[in-house]
Amino acid sequence: MIQVESLNKRFGNIHAVRDVSLKIHPGQIFGLLGPNGAGKSTSISMMTGLIDADSGSVSLSGLKPQSKEARHKIGLIPQSIALYEELTATDNLSFFASLYDIPKNQLQSRMDWALDFVGLKDRATDRVSGFSGGMKRRLNLAASLLHDPDFIFMDEPTAGVDPQSRNKLFDNVLELKELGKTIIYTTHYMEEAQKLCDQVGIIDHGELLALGTVGELLKQHGGDTQVSISSDRGVKEFKSSDVSNDLIQALQTSDKVYDISVNSPDLEAVFLNLTGRQLRD
Amino acid sequence: MNKIVALMKKDIKLLFRDKMAVFFTFVFPLVFAFIFGSIFSGDGGGSKALKVAVVDLDQTEQSQQFVKSIEEADEFTVTLTSEEKAKDLVRRGKRVAYFILPEGFGEDYKGVFSGSPPEILVGIDPSRTAEAGYLEGSLMKLGINRFEQAFSNPAAMTEQLDASIAQIEESDDIPQEWKSLLNDYLPKMKELTELDMGSEEGFGFGDDGEANPMMPLKVTKQEEVVQRSGPKNAFSITIPQGVIWAIMGCVIGFAISLVQEKTLGTMNRLIVAPISRTQIVAGKALGCFTAQIAVVALLFLVAYFILGVRFNFPKLVLAAVASGVCFVGLMMFFASLAKTERSVAGITNAFLLMMGMVGGAMIPLFVMPGWMQAISNFSPVKWAIVAFEGAIWRNFSYTEMMTPVLILVSIGVVAFILGTRMVKLEEA
Repeated sequence: MIQVESLNKRFGNIHAVRDVSLKIHPGQIFGLLGPNGAGKSTSISMMTGLIDADSGSVSLSGLKPQSKEARHKIGLIPQSIALYEELTATDNLSFFASLYDIPKNQLQSRMDWALDFVGLKDRATDRVSGFSGGMKRRLNLAASLLHDPDFIFMDEPTAGVDPQSRNKLFDNVLELKELGKTIIYTTHYMEEAQKLCDQVGIIDHGELLALGTVGELLKQHGGDTQVSISSDRGVKEFKSSDVSNDLIQALQTSDKVYDISVNSPDLEAVFLNLTGRQLRD
Repeated sequence: MNKIVALMKKDIKLLFRDKMAVFFTFVFPLVFAFIFGSIFSGDGGGSKALKVAVVDLDQTEQSQQFVKSIEEADEFTVTLTSEEKAKDLVRRGKRVAYFILPEGFGEDYKGVFSGSPPEILVGIDPSRTAEAGYLEGSLMKLGINRFEQAFSNPAAMTEQLDASIAQIEESDDIPQEWKSLLNDYLPKMKELTELDMGSEEGFGFGDDGEANPMMPLKVTKQEEVVQRSGPKNAFSITIPQGVIWAIMGCVIGFAISLVQEKTLGTMNRLIVAPISRTQIVAGKALGCFTAQIAVVALLFLVAYFILGVRFNFPKLVLAAVASGVCFVGLMMFFASLAKTERSVAGITNAFLLMMGMVGGAMIPLFVMPGWMQAISNFSPVKWAIVAFEGAIWRNFSYTEMMTPVLILVSIGVVAFILGTRMVKLEEA
């Protein structure tokens, strides 16, 4: 389990992370959703021990992230393509594996598995500089999985990725979940959070505004469903908290119905309701 | 240790994958050393005049005349000086040889038919056999002038013949048979001269050149062993300079790569891995050090086997290690100052080029003016060059090697400590 208690981090006058507390259960995919500059990466940096918090604490199965033992359990997929472009895929993996005391007799099989996992086995001996953006992202993921970490921190892993590679990455995330890994996934794409995450934290200006499953967040902060009915009596639009009942009543009063539109709230709406602005503002 | 070695191996591999880096680290310094070495070797068609010191102890009209003829000869560049200074100049290798015109030179110079040939003392290092032969031949050529002068001036010739007849009369050493022949011949010669006629016939004084006044000069060689303080081979100067260029290439490359680790995000991977910051820094330092040692080894192998440069191996190792430590420290310091590749390249290039210019990486230290040599003491490049030169041609003792070595190591340690304290690895 990952337990975060009252994390705070300041950079000069900017309070990048304010009193963030959360619990992530083993095997869960936790999404940290917020716009750019909300404090997602800073939070992950503190959770992985990359930077020290000004106050608060992080526990990874009872271990401090800076401890050597915890580092063997952490897999970080940085937001940037953290690879050596002039080396081949295998050279990169071999180097990163060498930092984790992986037994020599397992090294090759771990590299093979990682390359196969991200669909790059046939490009093993190619230089990374020749890869597409999506392939680099996938190799970025592979490099973090060599030591079989328990906690996988993915910082905006789909930034600048083509749809094909994005889908492949989604599949990878779900496969990792099936393998029992705990995944912390930051994104500013609400579709990704909605599709992948068991639990979502919405963060803005360093503050964790809401926390829960997608359903819980929609229910608590999504607002009513927007219904629009076009009939012989004209167009009727209304907000509904009980869509089926409201629809039946509305249809009973019309002879001819041309079109019905039901817009359920999404995480975008949750963010809008919480902050008063769009997620992509 | 395995992780440090892994970091080092990765950096070396990256260095070799970058063709431009390989060129500027390994090829350019060799080209530099070769081109400048060839120019300094004298193949560029410069003056071939030998620098000599001339001492006139005789101070007669004839000696001064002879000195003038040496000065006017194309074969020599002359410095007129005292005997003591002349010997010192030759011992220190500043002049190829000295010529001393001893007292009595002028008297012998005049005696064409009697007395001894004028003696000239030539001081030269015994190993310079080729130059010694060249010098002797050139001096002999100048010495012949005295015959031309004598035979082309009837009045002087008549005077000379009178003096010779008188000397022969007074001399007890000349056999009676010769005396009668000369007493018969010389007056006739005088008669001919007075008729304004010259004579080019030879005189039979046998093979004893020492007593033969018809020899142009008597060249007496004096061994003057040169204290070997200068380079024996122009590449001995340019190879240390080339090494410095290579080392500077390594420093710039590794300083950039350290900053690049931060900007790329690979540093974040390293920090999150079970490896200490000390190991990360040590790995980077070891990579830079290894690259430097490799390039020094390569350049000196080429220098030894192709360019004929000779060196003291243990002292070369000492110089290489000391400069390695120094420049690894500087690499760390430069990397700590900048946040982007561009800024670290700018800072490192500017500093190293300046240090290289004043430190002798472009112009050899010993040809710099005094004020510039004084400034060069503040450049680590100067001390690295001095250390390498100490192992090649300065013939430093181990005690003398300690000065550049300790300065280099001190600069390296201080820069490394400052750099590792200032560098923020996590600043991605």
